[in-house]
Amino acid sequence: MSKAPSLVARGLTRRYGGFTALKGVDITLQSGEIRGLIGSNGAGKSTCMDVLTGRGPDLIGEVQLEGVDISKLSERARRRAGLARSFQKTNIFPELTVRQQVALAARRAEFDNTEEVLSELGLMPHADRLAGDISYGDQRRVDLALTLVGRPKVLLLDEPAAGLTLEESLSLARMLRALAEQWKLTVMLVEHDMEVIFSVCDHLTVLHLGEILTEGSPEAVRSNPEVVKAYLGSTFA
Amino acid sequence: MSTPAAMAISAPTQKKTAAPLIVAAVVAAIGFALPSLGVPMTTLSLLAQASIVGVLATAVGFLVRQSGFVSFGHAAFYGGSAYLIALLAAHSKLSAEIILIAAPIIVLVAGFALAFIMLRTSGVAYSMLSLAAAQACFELMMKWRSIANGEDGLAIKLPREVFGLPLSIFQRPDSMFMVSWAVLVVIVVCLWFLSRSHFGTLTLAIKNNEERVRFLGYETLLPRAIIIALSAFIAAIGGVLFALYNGFVTPMALHWSLSGEALVIAIIGGTRAAWGPALGAFIFIFLRDIAGNNTTHWQGIVGITLIVVTVLLPNGISGALVTLWNRARGVSNV
Repeated sequence: MSKAPSLVARGLTRRYGGFTALKGVDITLQSGEIRGLIGSNGAGKSTCMDVLTGRGPDLIGEVQLEGVDISKLSERARRRAGLARSFQKTNIFPELTVRQQVALAARRAEFDNTEEVLSELGLMPHADRLAGDISYGDQRRVDLALTLVGRPKVLLLDEPAAGLTLEESLSLARMLRALAEQWKLTVMLVEHDMEVIFSVCDHLTVLHLGEILTEGSPEAVRSNPEVVKAYLGSTFA
Repeated sequence: MSTPAAMAISAPTQKKTAAPLIVAAVVAAIGFALPSLGVPMTTLSLLAQASIVGVLATAVGFLVRQSGFVSFGHAAFYGGSAYLIALLAAHSKLSAEIILIAAPIIVLVAGFALAFIMLRTSGVAYSMLSLAAAQACFELMMKWRSIANGEDGLAIKLPREVFGLPLSIFQRPDSMFMVSWAVLVVIVVCLWFLSRSHFGTLTLAIKNNEERVRFLGYETLLPRAIIIALSAFIAAIGGVLFALYNGFVTPMALHWSLSGEALVIAIIGGTRAAWGPALGAFIFIFLRDIAGNNTTHWQGIVGITLIVVTVLLPNGISGALVTLWNRARGVSNV
């Protein structure tokens, strides 16, 4: 794994009125790593993704993508710069065919790999079907395809395995691992499914009440008593 | 330059383009042949009315399909266009041809400007704002007697020849059906191609999930405004046909009931296909005529039809026909 950082974020903060959802979080993603961002509900994981991607008003913090400051860019411009994200809820276009929507996403990317993404994600059999007519598991893959197309530099995935069976989740984790290595992607993954997190991530960051509780390898995090107490419980310790 | 992505968008659709275009060409040809097939003048009059109302309904259906907005005020663009022709013909020295071309263009520009106000709302609020804006136009024409002659309306004073053709061409049912049918066919074909273009895909995506489209790196406000403006423009073209055919305009051409009728027609015909609202217009006009000849309660029959279509055919009659067509060809609904 290369040691050059792909993404450096400093002092990420988000306030909602008097409530501070994210309190000066610093995150550095090394090129090619798969980082897991975990924490209980309300820990600030999705908010962290929002601030990184420039979603919403009053965002505080500095974000550098491969050494370029993108803090002042809109979410649209950040996507074009190579910072892509998926959303917690399936966020696709039900009235477009699978191919139409992936191609639509590709038109705004620097690199058009529509057919490659459809093929790698196993979506070819559904390519000409309306996305609203395919199964939920396939819709999640379409969601991922929209994020992956154009080979972004950094991929932020918000619970990509939500609603999937254990088998589907692990299959997704294997596919992510393979794609990250093949396409040299840097990935930050928010996920509640610890099977997925421990099977795919190189490094974990644990958020608790808007602050970083700890960071480290999956083994180190799993055995950290504070993490066990605040989030994991005894199941994964 | 055609990118691989653009080709990916068009490639599967190209295969499916030929058969629908052949069917469209046959239907269009049948329409053009009707006046020479001895069809009675009363029927041709209904066909001319249906074609003109079909243009208005197509505008409403296009807006629903590409943006999800349900307009209760499209009569403002339709009647507004007719009033513009009447007023410019009476008070300006412009030629009739320029007036007839300028009226829908003025409505297009007004629709584009109005879109930026309308787009601050969505859903029911959009529908209510469109209703309010159209009713304001209706009231203005009702009350402004010195200019618009109030509820008595205005005669549209056009010269004996327009675009080198005798004005009577536009006022006889047989020839006007040919003109309005040609306009309707051109509009539907243009919208069909638009729906298969990148812009059509983009606007459908915005309708489905605007935030995700923004995050893919697209601007969303301008495409939505363009859809509203184009829809207004199509409705205004309907207004031009109405003005030519009737030679007279009253505030009823701006009334909400006409907007509602266009929406009912679009729902009956179905909005998922570009040609659905046009089909709905022919069904509606003939159903109303047949029901009106047999009972004074024709609105009840139209109402029952609307309920039946809404419950049994949620994609309208065109949606049902497309499903049957796809089944016959052994393909899924796309």
